[in-house]
Amino acid sequence: MSAVVSPIREPLIEGNKTYHQITEDICSPTEKAPGMAWVMAFLVAISLLAVYIFSLGWTVWNGIGTWDLNRTIGWGWDITNFVWWVGIGHAGTLISAILLLFRQKWRTGVNRAAEAMTIFAVVCAGQFPLIHMGRVWLAFFIFPYPNTRGPLWVNFNSPLLWDVFAISTYLTVSLLFWYTGLVPDFATLRDRSKGFRRKIYNLFSFGWTGAGKHWQRWESLSLILAGLSTPLVLSVHTIVSFDFATSVIPGWHTTIFPPYFVAGAIFSGFAMVQTLMVITRKILKLQQYITLEHIESMNKVILLTGTMVGVAYLTELFISWYSGYIYEQYAFYNRVLGPYWWSYVGMMACNVISPQFFWVKKYRRSVVFTFFMSIFVNIGMWFERFVIIATTLARDYLPSSWSYYAPTWVEIGLFVGTLGLFFTLYLIFTRVAPVIAVAEIKSILKSAGDQYVGPNATHHHDDHGKGKVHAGTH
Amino acid sequence: MRKYNKNVLYGLYDDDEQLLAAIHSAREAHLEIDNVYTPFPVHDLEEAMGLSESRLHMAGFVYGGIGALFGFLFMTWVFTRDWPIIFGGKPYWSVPAFIPITFELTVLFAAIGMVVSFYTVCGLWPGVENPTLDDRITDDKFCLAFDVTNADGGKVDALRSFLSDSGASEVNQKAI
Amino acid sequence: MNQFTFTAKQKTFLLSMMGVGLLSMVLTFFTDDALHTRFWSNYLHNATFFTGVAFTSLFVLTAFITAWSGWHVLVKRVWEAYALFLIPGLVLLSVLIIGLYGGFHHLYHWADAEVVAADPILKGKASFLNKGWYSIGTFVVVGAWIFFALKLRQLSIAEETMQDANFSVHKKIRVWSAVFLPIAGFSSAAIIWQWLMSIDSHWYSTMYAWYATASWFVSAMALTIITLAYLKSLGYLQIVSDHHLHDIGKFMFAFSIFWTYLWFSQYMLIWYANVGEETVYFQERLDNYPVLFYGNLILNFVAPFFILMRNDNKRKYGTLVFTAIIVLLGHWWDFFLMIKPGVYHTAQEVLAHSAAHADEAAHAAGHHASSFAAGFTLPGLLEIGTFIGFLGLFFFFVFSRLTKASLVSTGDPYYEESVHHRVWPF
Repeated sequence: MSAVVSPIREPLIEGNKTYHQITEDICSPTEKAPGMAWVMAFLVAISLLAVYIFSLGWTVWNGIGTWDLNRTIGWGWDITNFVWWVGIGHAGTLISAILLLFRQKWRTGVNRAAEAMTIFAVVCAGQFPLIHMGRVWLAFFIFPYPNTRGPLWVNFNSPLLWDVFAISTYLTVSLLFWYTGLVPDFATLRDRSKGFRRKIYNLFSFGWTGAGKHWQRWESLSLILAGLSTPLVLSVHTIVSFDFATSVIPGWHTTIFPPYFVAGAIFSGFAMVQTLMVITRKILKLQQYITLEHIESMNKVILLTGTMVGVAYLTELFISWYSGYIYEQYAFYNRVLGPYWWSYVGMMACNVISPQFFWVKKYRRSVVFTFFMSIFVNIGMWFERFVIIATTLARDYLPSSWSYYAPTWVEIGLFVGTLGLFFTLYLIFTRVAPVIAVAEIKSILKSAGDQYVGPNATHHHDDHGKGKVHAGTH
Repeated sequence: MRKYNKNVLYGLYDDDEQLLAAIHSAREAHLEIDNVYTPFPVHDLEEAMGLSESRLHMAGFVYGGIGALFGFLFMTWVFTRDWPIIFGGKPYWSVPAFIPITFELTVLFAAIGMVVSFYTVCGLWPGVENPTLDDRITDDKFCLAFDVTNADGGKVDALRSFLSDSGASEVNQKAI
Repeated sequence: MNQFTFTAKQKTFLLSMMGVGLLSMVLTFFTDDALHTRFWSNYLHNATFFTGVAFTSLFVLTAFITAWSGWHVLVKRVWEAYALFLIPGLVLLSVLIIGLYGGFHHLYHWADAEVVAADPILKGKASFLNKGWYSIGTFVVVGAWIFFALKLRQLSIAEETMQDANFSVHKKIRVWSAVFLPIAGFSSAAIIWQWLMSIDSHWYSTMYAWYATASWFVSAMALTIITLAYLKSLGYLQIVSDHHLHDIGKFMFAFSIFWTYLWFSQYMLIWYANVGEETVYFQERLDNYPVLFYGNLILNFVAPFFILMRNDNKRKYGTLVFTAIIVLLGHWWDFFLMIKPGVYHTAQEVLAHSAAHADEAAHAAGHHASSFAAGFTLPGLLEIGTFIGFLGLFFFFVFSRLTKASLVSTGDPYYEESVHHRVWPF
């Protein structure tokens, strides 16, 4: 552990914590009866979940004719929501994997919750393509299995099938990664409890003991899973972008889509992490672990990715003119000044312009401002997908089939309902598992605790503990 | 369930650096360490204990390779032998279109393979009840354990005093 | 030893490299076609390649400062020196601009007023693809980069002596670095379209700018490894440990994969959609430049991927430097492939036109007749000589900058952290 830390760095754990206090602070919320705020939130979430189930039932029973999709606009809110949720599901893996490569220690404060959020977001995303099939009970047709129809295989050349593979792989690997990180923390919960609860957590913790060799393998595994997840997380939104970009539809077929979708995904994912963290830290009283420093760092990532997305928007716009291809030029003219101009304006305002406030340190460190900004970005990124999908389809090559699309209550219900599904899962998660990675946060205590680092540090390298080795030099 | 028939003498330390120092002196004194338990991964531990490098990543490479070959060859077989169909004017064997699925299967096989290997070699599975020395090991205690099943009284006393001299806040003996 | 001395021996060696380059360029010029296409395209190739390396070095430096990565402090002098190569880079590029106005070269299809007048597509692009924008763009963009390179260099040196409890100098560095990032993002795209994408002037790809930047990025990492290993072998920078090289190796590895990812995305999307306006770019390269096309993937993906996958290979100097050389040549090769086919095509058209009232048949023949053209289908000895010359110039300039400041920046607040840097996942 490199405990030599620059004096310019701010602490990431406040309140002069000991190892035991960390365990206590992070584990105790799962051991107490839920507070009023949690109960209220859960009631809201579960009501929205009910809306989802109702809308889903309605769709399945009556068919997707209850949506306002039509012949030219075959994708509307459904695929918009799908892409939006998948995008949100990118932050967790990004925090765990890519920030590891960039040695950002602050990731330890938020990685657990972000990974959980990732999984729940992917679960929400997965709903939409399935429902959109119309006959959900035949959804297993998308997997290549030896069947009695030939066997007639699925089309491996189709980006939609690549999506099936990408998203199921992503869900599986994220779950494995997340769960492997949770195992030692479940052991901590087990050792703090008795009776039935202890049995349950022993089951969850796989009988973890904390042996030296196990930790070594655990770290090796985490590192490789992080290494694998880095290209994986890029591939997922890349493949989602292929759904559009492999086509010949102006406005969809553009080579910048893969990296631009990934940047947008990181952007929206971080916004959702902010929304959740700002609330979680307050309700679970974790302000000393998810500090203003964490919030500021995430706001910087939002500013960065928002600007990258801005570069991509302008690139697309410029190249559509530069291409000299009239259909391409019209597609973008229509995007900016066509019937859906308001969604383009919403997208630009929320995604590119509003994050620029984060150049000001005061705003980056304001919790309230951050919260509203994160909501803005979430809205903006939803608009972006809507702009790409609906605007383009509403004005295709054949002017006689131009039309205008607006969602029905069923589609709105499905979208709002998945928010319920998402929050229900997240709220349950905060009750059963530590929302911060206990073991990982302990391992950075000596390089990021406020008694060791920053202006109020009291422990210096030489006066701490018996048998102290000057850390980092051997 | 694994059977444990060991008698273990262990010391609990309050700080990871004390533990590291104790491991160093134990190895200098040629004392055979049974195991070390910590609440979080202590990075210098593997060096201090002289643990050999984990070979998990090699296994991961093999699993990934199998996944890649399986995915690519399967798609090749389906589209060139079993049921060739032309899609979008592309050749039967259209390599660029096979890359995304090949990649996903590489990652999937590597990840699942490694996770399963990890839990198998560590002997960790749902329902396993590994005996633990102390409940605080997963909280804030750092444990150094010696196997004293076959040790005589003098050896045990020597180890006991080694543990307390090296800074252990508690020294206990337990059969596991 | 923290003060670098640029020895006479090194100077002689680098000057002779430059001599080889000059000789190659002269030879190219006189053995060339009537338009000196080979000479000018080699010049464009190397000038943009090395200017880009300088730009991405500045980009890496500012990105790491903004991310508070800390460990890079021991390497930062090298990147500062690389970034300053933007100044000679601008001089090199001005020669191209002079050539453009003087009509000395025919690298760009759109620069020929007669052709543009007869071509509706080029006419549509004329308000962007013209000599004015090309030169103003180059001067403004590279000028802005130079401004930031100088500013950061000046602050970085000021940091050595002006240390205070508030780290006021470092905070200034942070602000300047952060401001540079969006500027770099927007400006690099625009100027890459001008310098490189406009060679194939009918063709377009929104990915192109990011793709070229990724190529530069990997080359910058490779050159950094080579320089660090060389400096260490001379006894300098002994505190740069395996761990630092491991991390730079990791970046070279990761961005080689990232480059491949961008390559694949661009190629696959164009292949898949099969729109003639776009496929022409890859069709030309696959049909007439297959060695370049596949070699590109072997050098820049297969080699670094399989060599650097193992962690210990990122710490073995020999292996790491060997891979760095492959990758550096690989990306130079990549730029060759980006530039040459388009330039060759343009030149053949111009030559066919000027060849005594060429009819349509001659026009077409000019393009398709020759299956192998030295210096275009493959880099020849003259190209390698030219590369050696530019490389000599690059290192001559970089070494002369390295002498101007201590190789180790002890004034940086992350200095201690960087000295104790160890590769751990923490």
